[in-house]
Amino acid sequence: MTRVARRARLFLFSALSSGLALLPAAAQQSGPAPEAAPAERPAGAVLPAGGDWPYWGGDADATRFSSLGQITPENVSRLEKVWEYRTGDLPTGNAENKYAAETTPIKVGDSLYLCSAKNILIALDAATGEERWRHDPQVSNDAIPYSASCRGVSYFAVPDAAPDAPCATRIIEGTLDARLIAVDARTGQLCADFGANGEVDLWAGIGERVPGWYAVTAPPAIVRGVVVTGAQVKDGQAENAPSGVIRGYDAVTGALVWAWDLAEPTRRGAPPEGETYTRGTPNMWTTASFDEELGLVFLPLGNSSVDYWGGNRSEAEKAYSTSLVALDAATGTERWRFQTVHYDVWDYDLGSQATLVDLPREGGESVPAIVLPSKQGDIFVLDRRTGESLFPVEEVEVPGGGVEPDRLSKTQPVSRYHSLLFPRLTEADMWGMTPLDQLFCRIQFRQASYDGPYTPPTSERHFIQYPGYNGGSDWGSVAIDPQRGVIVANYNDMPNHNRLIPREEADAMGLKPINEVPPGAQGGANAEGAGDPQAGSPYAIDVNAGWRVPFTGLLCKEPPYGGIRAIELATGKTLWDKPLGTARKNGPFGIPTYLPLTIGTPNNGGSVVTAGGLVFIAAATDDLFRAIDVETGEVVWQDALPAGGQANPIAYEADGREFVLIAPGGHHFMETPVGDSIIAYALPKDEAGEGEGDGGAR
Amino acid sequence: MSTLSSTVRTSPHSQAARQGGGWWGIVAVALVCLAFGLPILVGGVYLAWLGGSLYYAPAGFGLVLTGILLLCLSLNAVWVYLLTYAGTVVWAFWEAGFHWWAQVPRLVAPTVVLLLVLLVLPALLNRDPRYH
Repeated sequence: MTRVARRARLFLFSALSSGLALLPAAAQQSGPAPEAAPAERPAGAVLPAGGDWPYWGGDADATRFSSLGQITPENVSRLEKVWEYRTGDLPTGNAENKYAAETTPIKVGDSLYLCSAKNILIALDAATGEERWRHDPQVSNDAIPYSASCRGVSYFAVPDAAPDAPCATRIIEGTLDARLIAVDARTGQLCADFGANGEVDLWAGIGERVPGWYAVTAPPAIVRGVVVTGAQVKDGQAENAPSGVIRGYDAVTGALVWAWDLAEPTRRGAPPEGETYTRGTPNMWTTASFDEELGLVFLPLGNSSVDYWGGNRSEAEKAYSTSLVALDAATGTERWRFQTVHYDVWDYDLGSQATLVDLPREGGESVPAIVLPSKQGDIFVLDRRTGESLFPVEEVEVPGGGVEPDRLSKTQPVSRYHSLLFPRLTEADMWGMTPLDQLFCRIQFRQASYDGPYTPPTSERHFIQYPGYNGGSDWGSVAIDPQRGVIVANYNDMPNHNRLIPREEADAMGLKPINEVPPGAQGGANAEGAGDPQAGSPYAIDVNAGWRVPFTGLLCKEPPYGGIRAIELATGKTLWDKPLGTARKNGPFGIPTYLPLTIGTPNNGGSVVTAGGLVFIAAATDDLFRAIDVETGEVVWQDALPAGGQANPIAYEADGREFVLIAPGGHHFMETPVGDSIIAYALPKDEAGEGEGDGGAR
Repeated sequence: MSTLSSTVRTSPHSQAARQGGGWWGIVAVALVCLAFGLPILVGGVYLAWLGGSLYYAPAGFGLVLTGILLLCLSLNAVWVYLLTYAGTVVWAFWEAGFHWWAQVPRLVAPTVVLLLVLLVLPALLNRDPRYH
């Protein structure tokens, strides 16, 4: 088909299927560098935080900071559970060992809005936990990619809508089976004006529907009236995987406003009929942040579908993988990009949502900045208007060798602002219960290829990747207190023990990509990357996440495995650094020791920092929810959760009381108990209001 | 040593210790020493060959020798183990200092074995032909 004919057909197809809202996007096909008139989507007002938690990341800047001050280090010991709500969404059938809800509610007005692990939308009374409505989109177990996760939902108020009009305010979520769903925030009824009866099919333009290969687990970013979403493309399956395309949909109509396919820079609309968005490209499985004023959306991109071998990557994939990309939210036009790993063959995809801050500079001025944590531990601080780093970033020489020495990058960027990286491992860091298992790990250490950070993948022997793919920082992201000027970052400190498996050996092992096995047959029980086929490349990949010893289940590296750190925002200096998590639910052979000793466990999930001077965080594998004094790092309160707290907590105000809330959903890979509770804490009613703060919005 | 052995000999329980219980105890501790010692010896030699720590090979050897000497009902087992244990403590603090989690694999099991060896000491004293 000629180019002109293709364009014409696309125009017709789009206009017919999606309505007039698509006209500008389709019109952009005629030029290589399309620019939509900015007046079309003016900056709106962002939702005020204060006593609310209107966005997944807290406020519109994704700081995870609450200006509430009722609960303080002095009175936190009297914090008590006020209510507990159960979503009822627990694993059944082949979803066993695949649950990791990771849910963080939002709070707007007097309601909480959340999704369960399998995308049931729920509204609760924020003060009492009483259910107001629920909408079950009936997601099949087969759609679960690696985990049944729904990290959250997004709220949108239609500008100029009559307050009592249907869906004047709406809750929008992406689902595991790749639907974008909008319901009325007041009733939970599907929004008839959005897509086809409240739903948009995200499989459009992606290709063959393989349940579980393409799934949304993160809340969309809504900026300038555009719902921006990527999707999780299940890692390591095949080179010919669903596209990592990022799409923007009109928050009112659900019409496609733009599509950003990094390998098709001049195309802004859907691919021509019969074609797909470019397959196998880096995706965005985590949450974007945005600047409504600048009209930019900031996309933390992941890696190409084949994570540990790069020989088949296109130049575009190499240029964009593991980068933060800023797009014009109204048009999908790229404004800038910043790559954190060159030629990423370590699955160091950007997992954290980036946070917006006004960075104080010498002379009292401040710069609109964006703080970007990474899995390899570096924290980058960029000017969010330009993507330029505000602190030195050095290109440092890294080890060569491996199976593709000629293609590896000779250098990698290292942030001189702050790094969560620890000194390189030595044989003496190996651990165990007894000298015998410690010796086993020492032998593995000596047998493996290891030359510090960015040791390239090898096949003839194992290689050590440190830090592993859980970070550094993962999707829990960082919390930033702009008043105190402090970044609170929890992190993992664990290596992975990996090996590339030659194709012949992988075939003998029966490793097959998700599109060649029965639906729902994959995932869950094993760790991500433990025997991933990487079909289309010469190697499959075997990842021993955490580098664990068979039989005892202990990790080869000595503790701590995770910590939490306070960092001075202006300078990047460490203020305090503590191990996070106790040994109470951990031990050899998976037996809990019930030891109240702080060991520093693996952790997954982020924190909240409050004006009252507290950091609230669960995340660790000890199933404790705790409050930490932000000044000292000391744990000043804790409570045992009924399941693993691998979720970001929130803080909000209702009926004059400050609440902190967490949804302990557990996590199959972190081996914590699965649950369906939403638990809210506050000070006893007679004490609420006696704190230092006013308990309300600033 | 002679005072210790005479104390044991005059104890009212020594008669019982001379019988089955004590012997089985010694054999059990010997088997523990061999079960840990043999793989530590073999693995330790391999680790040294790989360029790793030189601690494990001699430590494994000490454990194996302790086990063999225990099976021979020789009191030298205790001396060999005390030497192995002392070396272990010195090495552990040299390598890991006062990082207590790091000392778990280095010191806990060896200390348990030390207690076990000391536990069968009375039975050994009764069994060693040199003390009869």
